[in-house]
Amino acid sequence: MARWGMAADLDRCNGCGACVVACHSENNISTVGDEQASRGRAKHWIRVERYWEGDFPDVRLKFRPVMCQQCDNAPCEPVCPTYASHHTEDGLNAQVYNRCIGTRYCANACPYNARFFDFFNPSWDKPLQLQLNPDVSLREVGVMEKCTFCVQRIRGAQLQARTEDRALRDGEIQPACVQGCAAKALVFGDLEDPESHVSRLARSPRGSKLLEDVGTQPAVTYLARATQV
Amino acid sequence: MTQPSGSKINDDLLRPLFHTSWRFFLLVAVFGGIVALGLSTWMWQARNGYGITGIKWPVYWGFYITSFVFWIGISHAGTLISAILRLVNAGWRRPVTRCAEAITGFALMIGATFPIIHLGRPWLAFWLAPYPSDRLIWPNFRSPLVWDFFAINTYLTGSLLFLFLPIIPDFAVVRDKSTGLRRKIYGALAMGWRGTPKQWHRLETAMQIMAVAIIPVAVSVHTIVSFDFSMAPVPTWNTTIFGPYFVAGAIFSGIAGLLIAMALLRKFLRLEEYLLPLHFDNLGKLLLVMALLWGYFVFNERLVTYYGNEPAHMAVFWRTQSGTFAPLYWTMVTCNFVLPLILLGIRRFRTITGCVIASIGIVIGMWLERFLIIVPALGHKYLPYSFGIYRPTPPEIIIASATFGAMCLLYVLFAKTVPIISMWELKAADHLPAKHPHSTAKEQRLGDSHA
Amino acid sequence: MDRRSFIKLTAITGTSATLASCGNPENQFIRFLPDEDIVPGVAVWKPGVCPLCAAGCGLTVRVMDADADVMRDGQWGIVRIAAAKKLEGAAGHPISQGGLCARGQAAIQVTYHPDRITQPLKRSGDRGSGQYEAISWDAAIAEIVQRLNALETAGTQRALALLSRGRTGHRAVLTDQFLSRFGARGAVTYQLFGDDVLRRANGLSFGREQLPTPDLANTRYLLSFGADFLGTWNSPVAQAGSFGHMRQGRPGIRGAFTQVESRMSQTGANADTWVPVNPGTEGVLALGLAHVIMAASLHPASAAGRAGAALDGWAGGLANSAPAEVERITGVAAARVERLAREFAETRPAVAVVAGPPLAHSNGLFTALAVNALNALVGSVEQPGGLFFTPQVNVAASSKAGGTAAASGASIEELAKGALGGDVPQVLLVDGANPVFTTPKAWRVRAALGKIPYIVSFSSFLDETSILSDLILPDHSFLEGWSEGAPESGSLSAVLSVAPAAMRPLYQTRATGDVLLEIGRQLQRPLNLPWQTFDEMLGATFAALPSATADVDAWTDAQAKGVWTGTVPGALVTGAAAAAPAAAVAYAEPVFDGDAGQFPLHFLPYPSSAFLDGSLAHLPWLQEMPDPLTSAMWSSWVEINPVTAEKLGVADGDVVEVASGQGALRSAAVLSPGIAPNVVAMPVGQGHQSFTRYASGRGENPVELIAPVTDSATGALAWAATRVKLSRVGPPDGRLILFAGGTREHLEEHR
Ligand SMILES: Nc1nc2c(c(=O)[nH]1)N[C@H]1C(S)=C(S)[C@@H](COP(=O)(O)OP(=O)(O)OC[C@H]3O[C@@H](n4cnc5c(=O)[nH]c(N)nc54)[C@H](O)[C@@H]3O)O[C@H]1N2
Ligand code: SF4
Ligand code: SF4
Ligand code: SF4
Ligand code: SF4
Ligand code: SF4
Repeated sequence: MARWGMAADLDRCNGCGACVVACHSENNISTVGDEQASRGRAKHWIRVERYWEGDFPDVRLKFRPVMCQQCDNAPCEPVCPTYASHHTEDGLNAQVYNRCIGTRYCANACPYNARFFDFFNPSWDKPLQLQLNPDVSLREVGVMEKCTFCVQRIRGAQLQARTEDRALRDGEIQPACVQGCAAKALVFGDLEDPESHVSRLARSPRGSKLLEDVGTQPAVTYLARATQV
Repeated sequence: MTQPSGSKINDDLLRPLFHTSWRFFLLVAVFGGIVALGLSTWMWQARNGYGITGIKWPVYWGFYITSFVFWIGISHAGTLISAILRLVNAGWRRPVTRCAEAITGFALMIGATFPIIHLGRPWLAFWLAPYPSDRLIWPNFRSPLVWDFFAINTYLTGSLLFLFLPIIPDFAVVRDKSTGLRRKIYGALAMGWRGTPKQWHRLETAMQIMAVAIIPVAVSVHTIVSFDFSMAPVPTWNTTIFGPYFVAGAIFSGIAGLLIAMALLRKFLRLEEYLLPLHFDNLGKLLLVMALLWGYFVFNERLVTYYGNEPAHMAVFWRTQSGTFAPLYWTMVTCNFVLPLILLGIRRFRTITGCVIASIGIVIGMWLERFLIIVPALGHKYLPYSFGIYRPTPPEIIIASATFGAMCLLYVLFAKTVPIISMWELKAADHLPAKHPHSTAKEQRLGDSHA
Repeated sequence: MDRRSFIKLTAITGTSATLASCGNPENQFIRFLPDEDIVPGVAVWKPGVCPLCAAGCGLTVRVMDADADVMRDGQWGIVRIAAAKKLEGAAGHPISQGGLCARGQAAIQVTYHPDRITQPLKRSGDRGSGQYEAISWDAAIAEIVQRLNALETAGTQRALALLSRGRTGHRAVLTDQFLSRFGARGAVTYQLFGDDVLRRANGLSFGREQLPTPDLANTRYLLSFGADFLGTWNSPVAQAGSFGHMRQGRPGIRGAFTQVESRMSQTGANADTWVPVNPGTEGVLALGLAHVIMAASLHPASAAGRAGAALDGWAGGLANSAPAEVERITGVAAARVERLAREFAETRPAVAVVAGPPLAHSNGLFTALAVNALNALVGSVEQPGGLFFTPQVNVAASSKAGGTAAASGASIEELAKGALGGDVPQVLLVDGANPVFTTPKAWRVRAALGKIPYIVSFSSFLDETSILSDLILPDHSFLEGWSEGAPESGSLSAVLSVAPAAMRPLYQTRATGDVLLEIGRQLQRPLNLPWQTFDEMLGATFAALPSATADVDAWTDAQAKGVWTGTVPGALVTGAAAAAPAAAVAYAEPVFDGDAGQFPLHFLPYPSSAFLDGSLAHLPWLQEMPDPLTSAMWSSWVEINPVTAEKLGVADGDVVEVASGQGALRSAAVLSPGIAPNVVAMPVGQGHQSFTRYASGRGENPVELIAPVTDSATGALAWAATRVKLSRVGPPDGRLILFAGGTREHLEEHR
């Protein structure tokens, strides 16, 4: 059984935001418009956090793409009364939209604020609905949504490999954000396979987990931006 | 002034049941209107989407969960107090128990609606309940929300039973005094009560059992409500003190709510001879103890956070202590601690008016307490990029306020249909020495010991 | 016109455009026969070319079946079509190499935009009112033909003008041929953030009048003067890829990166060393480094060759550019100048790039030449890890265009001056440019267009310029017709991107290339263009190129892959010769509009990460994408240093007024530690008056403040040469929408 994981190399990530739009495009995330965005309802399953350090002229800025960390020990799971947020066998934190009743408890429990609520029924001004990905279900009002590690692509690749009667190749599965990242800052793969690219990056001395001490055991490793001496 | 006699008790306490004044209709219309407004606002919310509230990323709980915890807290006055007083056989409790127990029932009903009101998809609320389905899908028993479901339902069932049992003899009195449809209804409610020694014995035994059983249930309910917070790794939520802290806070706000209700009943139903300054004084003293206890818990919780000095926790700490939420925080401390200490601690101020003022302050302060536990922490969870702040919108304010209207409405209807003071318990105590409204504390204590 | 009335108007327009079908509601339920080649639920991948900037990234388009409302023969109906679903970077494409920028990811919304123009429109109300009525293609083309024939008859062919963004590739050659054969001057090209200064400098320094391709993947030291090469400049996807490789792609080697600029850009945020510098003095710093290198005998002056000779005093070791003097002018400490010089000269290979604000001053050409010379001095030109020039296919030659190229066109400034001064073009064709939005007010382009009796636009949207047109002939979207790209940079070998339509057109649109060819045929004196259709022209080019795959011809191969790359046959290479400078260039103090006393701050408008020069503000995904530095969505803002803000009594989010000698605007202040205290910056892109429901009436357009200062040598707009003053107007009022909490929280608390 695989354990899916991601590595984000902060020395490669330049903060361009392509991953943000790629995720919108792949996962049918609706834009909410200016009025709702100003009320904190924008949904960005992946966001590029930026942190300023220091004052002019000795100022530094750091970017960090943050998506659901697919925690092994996910605080969003036990609190969900309906199993809408639950753990899959391959270690994903799955979100079953149809099972979600909208308590928003999971989002409170998530230390990364990686979960986004559908405050209204999503809508697309015609014919923008044609851009929708038929492989990803639409979410109705009142449910919680979040990064799925592009599970539809994982399942698609697994199915393809099975029909071709072969094992999955490392790098064969590319979530939309990974695929779109021109800087190749994001790497996805199987953490159980010690030879996979992501496994090797996860063992990097530059690697660390976000909010490690909260005990969530995330599946995303961040490789620190190196400093010039 | 002497203790009212049996027939006077009947006259006084059954008067609201048999005489309907325009004031009753006015109250029902006003409170009913408020409730209708709240209900329609909620329908509007369910229809349009949760977006009409001020809830947002990342503050996903606000007024509704605050109100939920608040009302479940208020519910702790009645049954718990009444059960304890029954067990210690405090005689002065007699005129107080029923109106206290009614508060419990109604506050629980109101509180229990909030988990539904706050749902994104309220029409699926039944998924919280374990029911057999051919897909074998059960709720997640690890979720504190499911624990809430059980705890609140148990407490609600128990409390209603605890409220209902001792009304049976009084229902019988009403049955015997009425005719027609009313007689039929009260006859059914009286469940064939004839007042035989066997029946009395059974009632006493049942009450004794219920009183013992309801105490752990009540304590557990608010502990479990506190688990909604303390089980999540949210800065300042994830602490062991929340269980007892919530229980203490619940009793605290509950007694305050009870005192306010008693004062209103006393005035509107002209029960000056039943709800005596003694009762206010005694409950006031209890409230003072709870204020001290509350202060202890808050100090404890704050000190531990401060000493632990974890960055994420400290961010929330300072936000309430001196930041954005400081005005609310210090209002809460004033309402919950400073004001009760002055009004209830100094004997001269511990009058009915003093008790009521302190109680109103405590109700406000305890509502703020829940708000301050929930909102500042959710807005400041670990990653500063995702910080946020919450502002309620009119629909939330309307719905939260309407619940006070609902409480009043339920109470008005209850007082109209049930003798608000347990008549038989009062009569059972009519051998007690006379009490003067302005009797001294010493005399009151004497009265207690005779009970 | 405010946003609401605009939306109303477009709604009316849209309705009138579909009048034919609206009379009969049953038409809504017409089901057209689906394409036979669709397999429901099965995705196919087709090549594409991203049209949103000149980088020319290759796309892979995911196509699946979907039910679409389409327009066929004037009727609306539903049909199961093969619809584009997702754009990915094409893995094998030499520019994008599998990646895309955020804009490229959003490009699909161009095709599915609800406010797209669906069929030819003829103006029915006043100019600018946005009122149009539907017209058939035949009638529309007949109208233009009649107008052009009139010019021909009157012998005033030069009164035809064409305005474009300065495209490269086949579209540019086709329009050029059209104009020259008709007898008109060449296209008027204009881009706010164009790179004409840099092209000219590269021509003078290296004989290559084009944008450079820095070989970041192999360099060990990158020195950038203001270039936003990871965000908006040149070929950002290619550069982000190679930058990533420079950082972490080579075991044990991590390239260092220093950025020189006065406002931290998204690119600058990634620098190891960030060097703020006085605006307009970047060239002085470059020469200061050169001075140190030459003085320390690390490289001889002669190593810079022609690039060095272009600068005054180079051969003498730049005696005037000693570190102390450089410090005085640039504000960069002398010791730091020394250190940077040594790092740059001693780390091999190293490369310097320059672009953006440093070149948007009156002395822009000097600055570009100075950086060029610095590269040449250390031997970083056409060397691994240095600066390269991507070989260019001469498209006019490869497509066998024949005829002579048109005489060079006027600048937009000259065109406007002419029109206002009586030399009025009688017919103006507008292809992709929106100068009403992107030119300084002082050029009075809008008024000038008002004088032109007949304006034809090929736009798919009603923007500030196309809304002035008399006839709109909407082009296909890039997914619905042949798309092509002739990238000027981004790869070390020559690249031509090409792709057939990924899906059938949704509406009654037509490829502009084909429309021009059709007009050319119908004129009373036919233009005899050598191709019948646009794809025939493309085919001609690719047939002339060597195939990359043995058993298929280049044309078939390119269509399948979406790209051709390889060695350009000698006869088809664009000539490299460009004249060396006539006289050596010296530093001249930058000229700023506005008195320093009255307008104490430098104004820096910059291309927004999402919208570039504003041409992408209509895409909702980009509107809602948080800005990398401020996290702003759907809004405009002014960046200001906290120290300056405190002096002016401005708090985060406050509404401020920014005023230049040209005008004033109000926007929300964002306090940013990454900007010099004497600079305020504003992203360009918002402030559209009419540009679809998503962009109209939103935010402010900083171009309104820009003074008409130009680079003295090239005439290019010096868009960073305006001085402004800033004052507080009031507290936050909700106009600034942020995604990030820290600041957002503050704003909300103070709203
Ligand atoms: N609510 C509800 N849902 C149901 C059912 C129900 O009873 N109620 N029944 C279920 C059952 S039993 C079934 S079998 C399914 C049927 O589900 P579908 O197969 O989806 O049924 P249809 O909508 O009848 O047809 C599908 C499409 O085929 C198109 N079509 C018709 N002829 C042709 C043709 O020659 N070529 C092509 N390419 N397309 C053509 C039609 O225009 C239509 O868009 O629905 C299931 N779903
Ligand atoms: S696409 Fe890649 S480089 Fe750009 S912000 Fe996302 S992770 Fe960083
Ligand atoms: S990041 Fe948040 S949403 Fe994702 S698994 Fe962890 S706790 Fe759950
Ligand atoms: S919002 Fe949905 S997923 Fe989250 S805890 Fe509630 S029911 Fe579960
Ligand atoms: S893995 Fe997929 S769902 Fe998750 S952030 Fe990336 S694109 Fe979005
Ligand atoms: S760099 Fe330009 S061509 Fe490439 S994806 Fe981005 S917008 Fe498109």
